[in-house]
Amino acid sequence: MSTSRPTVDGVTGSIGEFVEGRITNSHLALFGLGFVGVFFVLPILLLVPESLAFGTGEPLQAYRRATRGIYVDAFVRSFLYGIVTTAVTLALAYLLSYFMAFGTKRVRLTMTLVIVPLWIAYIVRYFGILLFLSPAGPFADLTGIEPSLLFTTPAVIIGLSNVYLPFAVLPIYNSLNAIDGELISASRVLGASQWRTLAAVVFPLSLPGLVAAGLIVFILAAGSFLGPAVLGGPNQTMIANEIAGAFLNNFNIRFASALAVIYSILLVGALLVFNTVFDLREVLGNI
Amino acid sequence: MSGRSLPSPRRVGLLAAVVAVFAFLLVPVIIVVITSFTPQSFPGIPQEGLSLRWYGELLADESLLNALKVSLIVATASSILSAIIGTIAAFGFVRGEFPYKEQISTIMLLPMIISPVITGIALVRYFGSLSLPSGYPALILGHTVLSLPYVFLLVRSELVTYDKDLERASRVLGAGPAATFRHVTGPIISPAIIAGSFIAFVVSFGEFTATQFLISPGTSTVPVVIYTMLRTGLTPTINALSVVLIVVMLVVALSSRRLSSA
Amino acid sequence: MLEVRDFTKYYGDLCAVENLSFDIDEGEFVTLLGPSGCGKSTTLHAIAGLVEPTDGQILLRGEDVTDLPPEKRNIGMAFQSTALFPHMTVRENIAFGLKMHGHDSTAVEERVEESLELVDMPDHGDHKPGELSGGQQQRVSLARALAYEPDILLLDEPLTGLDRVLREEMRGWLNRIQKEVGVTTLYVTHDQEDALSMSDTVIVLNDGHSEQIDTPERIYESPASPFVAEFVGKSTRFSGPVTREGDRAVVNNDDKAITVEGTGVEDGDDATLYVRPEDIEVSTTAAGAENEITGRVVNVANLGNRAEVTVELTDGNEALAHTNRFPDIDVGDDVHLRFDPERVIAL
Repeated sequence: MSTSRPTVDGVTGSIGEFVEGRITNSHLALFGLGFVGVFFVLPILLLVPESLAFGTGEPLQAYRRATRGIYVDAFVRSFLYGIVTTAVTLALAYLLSYFMAFGTKRVRLTMTLVIVPLWIAYIVRYFGILLFLSPAGPFADLTGIEPSLLFTTPAVIIGLSNVYLPFAVLPIYNSLNAIDGELISASRVLGASQWRTLAAVVFPLSLPGLVAAGLIVFILAAGSFLGPAVLGGPNQTMIANEIAGAFLNNFNIRFASALAVIYSILLVGALLVFNTVFDLREVLGNI
Repeated sequence: MSGRSLPSPRRVGLLAAVVAVFAFLLVPVIIVVITSFTPQSFPGIPQEGLSLRWYGELLADESLLNALKVSLIVATASSILSAIIGTIAAFGFVRGEFPYKEQISTIMLLPMIISPVITGIALVRYFGSLSLPSGYPALILGHTVLSLPYVFLLVRSELVTYDKDLERASRVLGAGPAATFRHVTGPIISPAIIAGSFIAFVVSFGEFTATQFLISPGTSTVPVVIYTMLRTGLTPTINALSVVLIVVMLVVALSSRRLSSA
Repeated sequence: MLEVRDFTKYYGDLCAVENLSFDIDEGEFVTLLGPSGCGKSTTLHAIAGLVEPTDGQILLRGEDVTDLPPEKRNIGMAFQSTALFPHMTVRENIAFGLKMHGHDSTAVEERVEESLELVDMPDHGDHKPGELSGGQQQRVSLARALAYEPDILLLDEPLTGLDRVLREEMRGWLNRIQKEVGVTTLYVTHDQEDALSMSDTVIVLNDGHSEQIDTPERIYESPASPFVAEFVGKSTRFSGPVTREGDRAVVNNDDKAITVEGTGVEDGDDATLYVRPEDIEVSTTAAGAENEITGRVVNVANLGNRAEVTVELTDGNEALAHTNRFPDIDVGDDVHLRFDPERVIAL
């Protein structure tokens, strides 16, 4: 019976098994879940009571403040920047992935060049972009032109796209690479041009990777703190910066918590909308 | 077309675009490294010779060296912890049988998905209410949570492809469960565990956003110091410190790649 | 040697094996044959101790081992995946079982070399399994399983995954080794050629129960059930009500009557008949023989040493017959099929 192999039939061995014999694999999963539950999920859930003003006349006062003026702007900006960054990143990542999958034999080298930035701290990479864009920086040194992008919206988008690009390349490359070369040959033999093959065969087959990449980049970009903090000005503040500012500068924990709760609810809402178009579980299976 | 190659005029166009994207991706890091060797007091391209002046400054600055020490301690401790916890959890989720296993396992990945700002304030409040002091305990626990998903994913994918017949063979050959783990399962999956712990080290070493909430006076990490210096003005010391950060992270990450491909 | 008593295994509500019993004698080569999902691997794993029976007993050398863990059973086992430890050399793989069975280091070294000799691989001791071909890996896997002289050797589809030529070569080789060592062997396969060519006894499993336990010859010549007849070998099938005439019976299959020699079917029964293709003679002329039916040739396939002719009968069913290599028959020919009443399998 190769179809239904025994699983916990006393033999399949686990670390727990020889510790006690009574410890099953499910207990091991529970241990991991417990750690994440106690040191991650619970602390985050506790932000909800933290955000409410119990015992005052107006328990939702922090939420009233959070849904007005500059904070609404920050929420809107987070989602807008997230969407624009996702679009830019996906375009660049698709180009690189297509090249890696079909245009080169040096896959290892190009893959290393894509992955190396992942191993370098965000702060250093944002610092590099800051240097590059600063009026007295290397770009000005080399070209004599003083760039004026710094502390503008384009600067933040450039930074976010740069930093999250590798995250987008990996799933897109994987889905492109999984396409059977014979499908492409078949399309050409059947009379489709190269562009038509790209549009009618390659692109549809790479959609799962593209959607997964878009989801990852959007979530990371919309919640970014460092991008706007290093490259943006007062008019580029995103929600993460407002949350940090409320906490670190004004010590307003209740308000920071309220912002965090609202943001999380909005993000989950966005994911649910996303889920109606693409099956989220299928997408996550792709990551 | 032979399926996988492109005709040449288009190829040149594609190649140029690819080079441009790679430049976009890599130039910022290269600039940080190059400008760290400037003799001037602003991080520009060194035009009058190279200098190690700013690395010297780095060595002379007690607080910067302390940050490096804190980063190393926190990254080492948290990577060991997340390797242990991540491995145990991966075993549980791959080998355990319980309802909604796949759905529940996404909880293990949440620390990767939630914005680290939210994680940061949530943890600092929580640790505060537990009277767990800021500084090392908070940093190490926080970084363990943040790097756990990486170990979990790596070890899990190793275990999923692991041929369980190897364990069956070992048992039939006369080895009990403990000997089987020691001689067979352990040696085969340990490269993935070590690679995972190295990735955890890298994640911890470069983490800034949540870390800024968890530090105490005297336990600033390197990324926090870089951020603080950035706010006060650009000096090549930031570059020198960044290069140290880059070197440590790349060395660890590259050794992890070696291990996992071995 | 090995006794399996009423072995039953459920996975949740799903029954994999129900009340399976059989014995294996000392030195015997027994095959569990069946389609995938029939419970044969579950049975083998239960004998090894890798699956806990829901019910029933397993006795090895007269001792009840049902509750013993696999490491206490002194069993040798080779897997379809070979399950060679990738991080150990061939020599270390073979030594592993010996060490775990408590042999001292000089005895281990000696036995490892003997085992390598046995499987004709004396020069491959220092290779890692990944450096060997599929056939070599299976040989090492067998050497590892035999090194510590187990009471019984369990083989879980070891030849599946090898290409056809190598597979046939390995069958003969495996049989020689088994006879040479004299080890009692239980072999699991879904491949009837493996089963018929290698075994002393074949157990045909279907859906968790045994259909027939018999010699390879009798499994083929006298299948005990329609399942066995159809799973093992090719045949042409007829069915219909039975009329007995002395020691013969006539089965009325639609427009034709087929005579069957011997007993086994009773008056008024509905019988299913099988005729093997090598027992059917194809001819373009009528001979007025006892069992003669007509049809039109739809395919002639040359199989090298013989040809297989597919004939569409008048009732629309198809019959299979073997002829010599170059039959004087073409697609579209009207032909007569003849077969001896003694060669009809009636169930």
